[in-house]
Amino acid sequence: MSAVADPLPGVPTEPWLRRLKRSLLYGRNVDRSAKARARVGLAIAGFIAVYGVIALRLVMFGIVADSRAPHRVIVDDAVATARPDILDRNGEILATDVRVPSLYGEPRHIIDVDEAVELLTADLPDLDATELRERLSSKRGFVWLKRDITPAQQKEIYRQGIPGIGFLNENKRDYPNGPEVSHLIGLVNIDNQGIAGMEKWLDNHGLAALHMAGLATDRSQQPVVLSVDLRVQHALRDELVAAREQFHALAAAGLILNVNTGEIVALVSEPDYDPNDPRQANDPSRINRLTTGVYEMGSTFKAFTLAMALDSGKVTLNSSFDARAPLHMGRFLIHDFEAQHRVLTVPEIFTYSSNIGAARMALLLGSDAQRAFLKKMGQLDRLRTELPESAEPILPRRWSDLTTATVAFGHGLSVAPLQAVMGVAAIMNGGTLIPPTFLKRSRAEAEALGKRVIKPETSELMRYLMRLNVEKGTARKADVPGYYIGGKTGTADKVINGRYSKSKVLTDFMAIMPADHPRYLLLIMLDEPKATPETHGFTTSGWNAVPVGGKVVSRIAPLLGIEPRMDLPPADQLILASLKESR
Amino acid sequence: MILRIVNFVVIGALILAAAYVYRIKYEATVQAERLAKLRDEVRHERDKIAALRAQWGELDDPARIEALEKRFLKLKPVAATQFDSLDHLPDQPPDYLRPGSRDPIGGMIEHLEEPATVTGSIPPPAATAAPAVPPSANTDGTSPPPPPATIAPPAVVSPARAGHSP
Repeated sequence: MSAVADPLPGVPTEPWLRRLKRSLLYGRNVDRSAKARARVGLAIAGFIAVYGVIALRLVMFGIVADSRAPHRVIVDDAVATARPDILDRNGEILATDVRVPSLYGEPRHIIDVDEAVELLTADLPDLDATELRERLSSKRGFVWLKRDITPAQQKEIYRQGIPGIGFLNENKRDYPNGPEVSHLIGLVNIDNQGIAGMEKWLDNHGLAALHMAGLATDRSQQPVVLSVDLRVQHALRDELVAAREQFHALAAAGLILNVNTGEIVALVSEPDYDPNDPRQANDPSRINRLTTGVYEMGSTFKAFTLAMALDSGKVTLNSSFDARAPLHMGRFLIHDFEAQHRVLTVPEIFTYSSNIGAARMALLLGSDAQRAFLKKMGQLDRLRTELPESAEPILPRRWSDLTTATVAFGHGLSVAPLQAVMGVAAIMNGGTLIPPTFLKRSRAEAEALGKRVIKPETSELMRYLMRLNVEKGTARKADVPGYYIGGKTGTADKVINGRYSKSKVLTDFMAIMPADHPRYLLLIMLDEPKATPETHGFTTSGWNAVPVGGKVVSRIAPLLGIEPRMDLPPADQLILASLKESR
Repeated sequence: MILRIVNFVVIGALILAAAYVYRIKYEATVQAERLAKLRDEVRHERDKIAALRAQWGELDDPARIEALEKRFLKLKPVAATQFDSLDHLPDQPPDYLRPGSRDPIGGMIEHLEEPATVTGSIPPPAATAAPAVPPSANTDGTSPPPPPATIAPPAVVSPARAGHSP
């Protein structure tokens, strides 16, 4: 109370100096308590504003921090995109992704370039110091220093603690079987993009778009199951490598096709490459000869000629053709390799592989019929499969009578071997042309895709001829007891500088097994096999491709689940008789 | 006075709400961290599985197995003649053992001796003996030894057509 009481009497008692200050600072008659209250209010407002901002920021951090964390993970992962595993038909892994660390640098964050270069080259001796210095001195935000380093190297570099150097885990494609399935699955580049084979097919079928959208970072993509059987593939490759060595051939290729579904169970083209080492793949001698190469298939084409003749109804098994003398076509002369100098019946033309007989047969039907038939069998158009590599057949410019005669025994028309296999498979399987595939396919799907090209009876007759050819014809060396193989050989003179070479040949062998209930078609092809003492100086198919085919069959038949049947009667009793009974 | 109580209630509710929100937020953070950690672990495990699968693929490579086989084993490819079908198995021999018999070997001997006594002049025992014979054996008591393996004739043989000239 004294404080209130004092001023009234005390006003005049205020010292003059203080009064002066007060009047100068606040003016006369100003109520200081009101002033003070206003100031406190202002301070409160200020504090509220500051704390409000702090609270707001806290809330924002709370929200933003959550949405940012997963975002960074995606950035870390999206560098090399994940690819689905590729499996064979039994679930064996053909290609898979593994994580490998890669080294990168952020030049803006590097403090001492020289020190960084020194330390890094000490740990990674194969790094080029000048190039590394150049990269680290650049103004860019991000540079790759080395892809695919070992975990030990990663640990060592991590321990150096160089600022501005980091690691990213990348997906790297791993092919555990090495060169075993090289041409089939192809390979990827350093950024995990498919550049050949089925890998490229994957990219063309949606994977590339997924990568672009940054969605293909997950491992949980559905694996792709191929039609190939790794064990069969290995057996085939093993035999072909041995055959190529034995006959000093330029190349050896083999293919096994399921004739009822069109599935390719094995595909080997030797020399091949290791997809883990992409440099090999560019070598032009290592191309996939079965799809990328086109060849004159030689006598195996007689299967088409005979199928066409028998299917037309103008020729029966008992028809005969004059093969007494070489056939004159203008200035050309068509010879037989195993000349019989007599009139040959249709089965004899097939088993002696008579060029004259086949040519006469084709001439009887005419070139238009031949062209239409080959077109129907898919031999005149480019065959496209899942593999991006394919080749256009080389057709004769003018389809004269001479062309008709030579095409009848497989000269003058170059096709991809896979294409020829597809056509022969149609002749064997009852007359349905099924486009070959590298993906697993059921029989029902194949039937929906298939197109009838010849009569079932013709197919049966052709199987009889194929079997007969193994029993008493040119393919005797392929007869593995119990599997009832049928086959046709082919030896084509190679075209060197526009002329047919006398010494360089391409031999091939097509085998159907078993001949009475066809399941698999095998193709063996040797490019320029040389004569060896065991072949008695011959280079024809019967001495090289056929024995190889026999070896392959005896190895793969148990793998393919073909039951051996001993003591089966010869073809004219088993196949021909059942055909006549059904009529 | 009422206003003051309301004030205190509101302040109390505020503190409670703040504490609750804090707890939720804290738990959410813990869960999010756990999630991130688990995700990381899952990714690690997947990577490891992928690496192991790749390694398995390498170890299981037929070429490698074949090389090992050539070095350490003396296996040969299976020939077609080594396969046979179950139809060619001989029939199961008759079961001499009577189920529940106390003296199985004695029972076998007894059973084996039985046919020896049956000849043209000594007729087989009367029907009264029949129940003693095990059900799988022949009821006439002769009980022949198991039939020899018979090779089934080939599926289709029509020699009548063999004369056809190709």
